[in-house]
Amino acid sequence: MSKILEVKDLHVSFDTYAGEVKAVRGVSFDLHEGEVLAIVGESGCGKSVTAQTIMKLNPMPPARIVNGEIILCDKDIVNATEKEMMAIRGKDVSMIFQDPMTCLNPTMQVGKQLTEAIRNHRKMTKEEAHKEAIRLLELVRIPNPEQRAKQYPHEFSGGMRQRVMIAMALSCAPKLLIADEPTTALDVTIQAQIMELLKEIGKKTNTAIIMITHDLGVVASMADRVVVMYAGKVVESGVARDIFYHPAHPYTKALLKSLPTTEMSRDERLVSIPGTPPDLLNPPVGCPFASRCKYAMKICYEAPPAEFEVGKGHHGSCWLPHPDCPKDQAGGEQ
Amino acid sequence: MMDMKTMNMPEKKVDDNVLIEIQDVSKHFKVSEGILKAVNHVNLTIYKGETLGLVGESGCGKSTFGKVLMGIYPATSGKILYHGKKDIEITKKNLFAYSKMAQIIFQDPYSSLDPRMTVGSIIEEGMIIHKMYDKKRRQERVYELLELVGLNREHANRFPHEFSGGQRQRIGIARALAIEPEFIVCDEPISALDVSIQSQIINLLHDLQKKLNLTYLFIAHDLNIVKYISDRIAVMYLGNIVELATSDQLYEKTLHPYSKALLSAVPIPDPDKEASKKRDILGGDVPSPINPPKGCPFASRCPHATEICRQEKPKLEMKQGHLVACHHVKK
Repeated sequence: MSKILEVKDLHVSFDTYAGEVKAVRGVSFDLHEGEVLAIVGESGCGKSVTAQTIMKLNPMPPARIVNGEIILCDKDIVNATEKEMMAIRGKDVSMIFQDPMTCLNPTMQVGKQLTEAIRNHRKMTKEEAHKEAIRLLELVRIPNPEQRAKQYPHEFSGGMRQRVMIAMALSCAPKLLIADEPTTALDVTIQAQIMELLKEIGKKTNTAIIMITHDLGVVASMADRVVVMYAGKVVESGVARDIFYHPAHPYTKALLKSLPTTEMSRDERLVSIPGTPPDLLNPPVGCPFASRCKYAMKICYEAPPAEFEVGKGHHGSCWLPHPDCPKDQAGGEQ
Repeated sequence: MMDMKTMNMPEKKVDDNVLIEIQDVSKHFKVSEGILKAVNHVNLTIYKGETLGLVGESGCGKSTFGKVLMGIYPATSGKILYHGKKDIEITKKNLFAYSKMAQIIFQDPYSSLDPRMTVGSIIEEGMIIHKMYDKKRRQERVYELLELVGLNREHANRFPHEFSGGQRQRIGIARALAIEPEFIVCDEPISALDVSIQSQIINLLHDLQKKLNLTYLFIAHDLNIVKYISDRIAVMYLGNIVELATSDQLYEKTLHPYSKALLSAVPIPDPDKEASKKRDILGGDVPSPINPPKGCPFASRCPHATEICRQEKPKLEMKQGHLVACHHVKK
């Protein structure tokens, strides 16, 4: 499997009137062909900013890539010009968003929008592009694609619109598809349809998928590997099974425990994480989770924790596993 | 909390445990395309001290039903009888008296708090309207309520924009509790919040229920949370209640095909269970509530639908210990 994407020590900031908001503070991960990587975290943790930076969709300024490398298909795109990015977007990497209605042109027939995207990147006649558009609509399981192509976005339901978005994203056979909360706005039964479709397409076309979500259920059902983000940093990363069954970071542990399971009785209390995430205008010097962590020690507030290896391909950033840490602190399950 | 015996009670005889009787309530809206039937002939009993979960997809009428129950929307037909501190029928005339006993917590903690009012005056407002206590005592109550919901008294002089989503939801809860209600409609109180904050609010609602002996109607689409918090769960589809059972029974022995599909569609945060789970993926979308189909509302998406389903609407009947509306579930 070849490597499609490598993000190394990425820092992204936004310059605002109040000061510099450090939205992403040193994120690294990589992604191989045909793999599904989930980036999980709460709102404001920097997961969407990370994804948008890979597409360079953030308006710069106010956004600024302070440091880091993004190697997409063996090419560093951090310094790519807007013109170069135009060629990359759609062809190498494309994106689907949370709200499909705001991403489709309301005044244009769905089929036209698709052929436009296809003809921008591929040399095709109008007829060929139209055929390709119909094939794509079939691929994403839209019934009566010929007729549907003539309709406008408002005539489609939310789930159907998301299918159109997926068809459009796939129109130039990208190597990487970024899905930013693709099912958050949809109902559970529609969510199940879309997740099934994404899985199927990933397998069929060998497209790598980055799935950005806050829903751990979606992660469990789709992801091969998981990156957990908190306050602009990766706190833990690894294979999905390791993250769910052997979480190492106190934040991941608490997050998994805070979800009620169907076996839980009403008298059991949910584990809750006190407090709120830190303000990224003035991010804490030490571990960003320290103020909410029940195992926090003095060092956690003073220095950012180093990354440690939990197992093969499973990493975490925390002071607890450090060899000098007293064992009674690190021991004991939460 | 409620065993099956109490659920089986004949509707006519009101026992002491019943808080609200909803009799054949419908809510229709006139729109340019026709009549939008948001809530259709709902019969439901809510018992004192219980949490009744109401689940369904967006557009199924669950929030409209919550608002009808609060008297925010007058019902198009049917009757709602309330047996709390006072026995009243919920009508426009009785709304003021009723609002002293029932309150609502909204989904969006941003748009449901007046940005120009301080938190203290937001919480106090209900008490002023209902002429409760003198000024000094009201101020004390505001402080007490803030502490009850996990905020502190200094927050009373601040404005809503200074708070995070979870804190705002706490303010919304304090406001609802200010007039000492017995019944609270929780309309998706946690779906706008982050995962780590959701459990804080759920735990708070749980503790308050025990402490103040509250009755909840908990409206949500997150089935894992509804299962956890509810004693009984009603499943709604296209304005109709299709199944009603205690939460354990609903999960252990799901009867209605829609409830089955809904439950199997929920992703479980456990990769092994997800991989081994057999999903009943529903095709299609929810039909429009404007001029809905005449037979079973679910017939167009149901894998078991037959001719009778398209012709005749099934009644909500007691079958195998659940109230279920389906022609194909055996007694």
